[in-house]
Amino acid sequence: MSAPALIGLFLFVAMPLFGGVYWSFTNKRLISPLPTEYIGFQNYQNLLGLLVVRVAPEIDEATGQIQMNLEGNPVYPRTRTVIRGDPAYKGYRYWFTADILGQRYVVIARDPTFLRSLINTFLFVLVIVPGQGGLALIMALLVNQRLRGRYVFRTIYFSPVVTSMAVLAIVWTFLYNPDQGLINRFLSAITFGRLQPDWLVSADSALLAIIILSAWQAAGFQMIIFLAGLQGIPQSLYEAAQIDGGNTWQQFRHVTIPQLRNTTIFVIISTTILAFRLFTQVDVMTKGGPQDATVTVVFHAVDTGFRQQKIGYGSAVTVLFFIIVVSIALMQRKLLRSDIELE
Amino acid sequence: MNRTLRYLTPILILLLLFTFAAITPAQDMAELELWYHGGTQEENDETRAQVDRFNAMQDAIQVNFVELAGSLVAGTGYNDAVNAAAVAGDLPCILDLDGPNLYNYAWAGFLAPLDDYMSDELRADILPSLIDQGLYNGKIYAMGQYDSGLALVGRVSLLEEAGVRIPTSIDDAWTLDEFNDALASLKALESVQYAIDLKMNYGAGEWYTYAFSPVVQGFGGDLIDRDTLSAEGVLNGPEAVAAMEWIRSLFENGYATLTPPDDNEFINGNAAMGFLGHWMATGYYEAFGDDMVVLPVVNFGARQATGMGSWAWSITTQCENPDAAWAFMEFMLAPDEILSITNVNAAVPGRFSALAMSDLFGEGGRMNIFVQQLESGIAIPRPITPGYPAVTSAFFTAMDNIIKGGDIQTELDAAVDKIEQDIADNDGYPVQG
Repeated sequence: MSAPALIGLFLFVAMPLFGGVYWSFTNKRLISPLPTEYIGFQNYQNLLGLLVVRVAPEIDEATGQIQMNLEGNPVYPRTRTVIRGDPAYKGYRYWFTADILGQRYVVIARDPTFLRSLINTFLFVLVIVPGQGGLALIMALLVNQRLRGRYVFRTIYFSPVVTSMAVLAIVWTFLYNPDQGLINRFLSAITFGRLQPDWLVSADSALLAIIILSAWQAAGFQMIIFLAGLQGIPQSLYEAAQIDGGNTWQQFRHVTIPQLRNTTIFVIISTTILAFRLFTQVDVMTKGGPQDATVTVVFHAVDTGFRQQKIGYGSAVTVLFFIIVVSIALMQRKLLRSDIELE
Repeated sequence: MNRTLRYLTPILILLLLFTFAAITPAQDMAELELWYHGGTQEENDETRAQVDRFNAMQDAIQVNFVELAGSLVAGTGYNDAVNAAAVAGDLPCILDLDGPNLYNYAWAGFLAPLDDYMSDELRADILPSLIDQGLYNGKIYAMGQYDSGLALVGRVSLLEEAGVRIPTSIDDAWTLDEFNDALASLKALESVQYAIDLKMNYGAGEWYTYAFSPVVQGFGGDLIDRDTLSAEGVLNGPEAVAAMEWIRSLFENGYATLTPPDDNEFINGNAAMGFLGHWMATGYYEAFGDDMVVLPVVNFGARQATGMGSWAWSITTQCENPDAAWAFMEFMLAPDEILSITNVNAAVPGRFSALAMSDLFGEGGRMNIFVQQLESGIAIPRPITPGYPAVTSAFFTAMDNIIKGGDIQTELDAAVDKIEQDIADNDGYPVQG
């Protein structure tokens, strides 16, 4: 009976998963006459390799004093020289510098882009899950009212969900254009030209720009789920609350919110998993730049695996990613058990 | 019900038989698949028409034209599809590929050498730059109908208004100082918003490498050392740093914008000049007519340099009938066919005999600057190494970071590290027997 489904699962889920795990222990390349070799945990070491190096300032050979630049700050050697100077640092690249208590520390990593992609992805999830969920709930409350034309509003709010993300990303690239885009024209009109972010062009705002677009695109889907949840709440509960003298806010706080518990849990878990997969917007709009500000784990997997042709390495990225997402989903399930019945 | 079925069944069976007969090609007909990247609409239509003409003029070979949707620029999506097909053993017989990707495919053994097919006569008639671009390890693996051109365009009226000298051949190209002055005077004009459109709307990708590595070379640097294939000290050397500082200054001084909304900044008059590949030249000419002038690339000091290399045809080793594939390529390389495509896309015709017949590119033609640049040897092929995909990705990522505010030395160092890592990962790209 379940054979067709099992065959599908095996072919399209289990096989690629096992293939990925297997390749992540090899140096398999996409286009290469060289044989594929087993390299153990080398890919994982290259992904996670991270060191903090304390760098001493340059000493003036003549005076024995620390060299100072014109502004009176100590002069430090180029990080590249430090890395090249010690065989233990072979394969490491500069990531960032931190000055703590007058000491200079340089953080070097084997793949700074991957570590940055982890940070970016978590940041994205942390902002998008509450942000998009909240937006969806507000939209659901709005279109749940008995007002004329509410079906039109539902359709409008839902329409971005069924539009291709690639198309939306291109349209939003135009909207985000700093000089001529609609968004900055609008901001200019209401702030008299004071607020003109560079959006996708600046490393400081690019991820925020992607977050706004993503929340706008996907919130309609969660809105529908919340709407179903809202319509499942028995009218008698609101009537009872009204008899007890509850105002609108109290009804929302003590009837709607608790009744939506299971819906909310579903929304949180599904949004989290979907948010971790962030790829299309980044690929179309920024290619992970500027300065890795928008690189995500999935983008890095595709970039290293297909464009840089290191399938083994890309597989290791996806295996780590799989472990992270599964453990977070399990953790969420444990924290937000949905089997409590509310009456 | 039953009676209807009884009558219908034989009719259906007969129909099925006829259908099979109809789609089974004649016995000795060779069917070849051809993959083509999505260019501009006009380019696609013309290439499809060429394939149709080939199929119509003979009965022995049927070429099936497959256009794979690529991205807008240099077929990023197309390359991904070809990579995947190569791994799956699913490559077509005839493959359209962008110049520098050839070395990677040839090294991996996916392409068949064309030397034995090419007559001495044909070889002597082909632009040397096209031969250079198709050569890997002493053999020719791809041959294009045309080569690309990278130059500046301007409007005579604006240049004269700004009092800028208009160079007419590559010998009197602007020097760096002259170019900087020209940019400043053009920006000062009331009728334009900024001096030059650098096509930054293409985004971080092959355009950066194609268009801006000549600037790095003009300053005396390069992407990699052409002999050792190493990037150390070349891409992160002082010359490359100076080149990047100058490129960034164009945006800082307001001579160019990082965020042109589309391809039309020159046409709609926002930018006084354009830095462009040949593929935009036809549209520009249609907009401005004789007011548009093609200008040679700037002499940045160390040398004059420009880009070359374009899409070319190749035969894969997975092709069962390479002779038939070559018959098609030979047809495509006929001077008439070359001109029919270059009249559409304004690329430089790949054969001297075709060039001689061309009003656009011949002596005195308005696109002649492109030919001068290719013939005089100032055009430099992009790095000839199987590691090209890593080289270009490292370069355009670094450049994108730099123009958006990154530290130049740090970014170039990172690019070098990535290229060196790639070489190490591939055991130094040993030449295959």
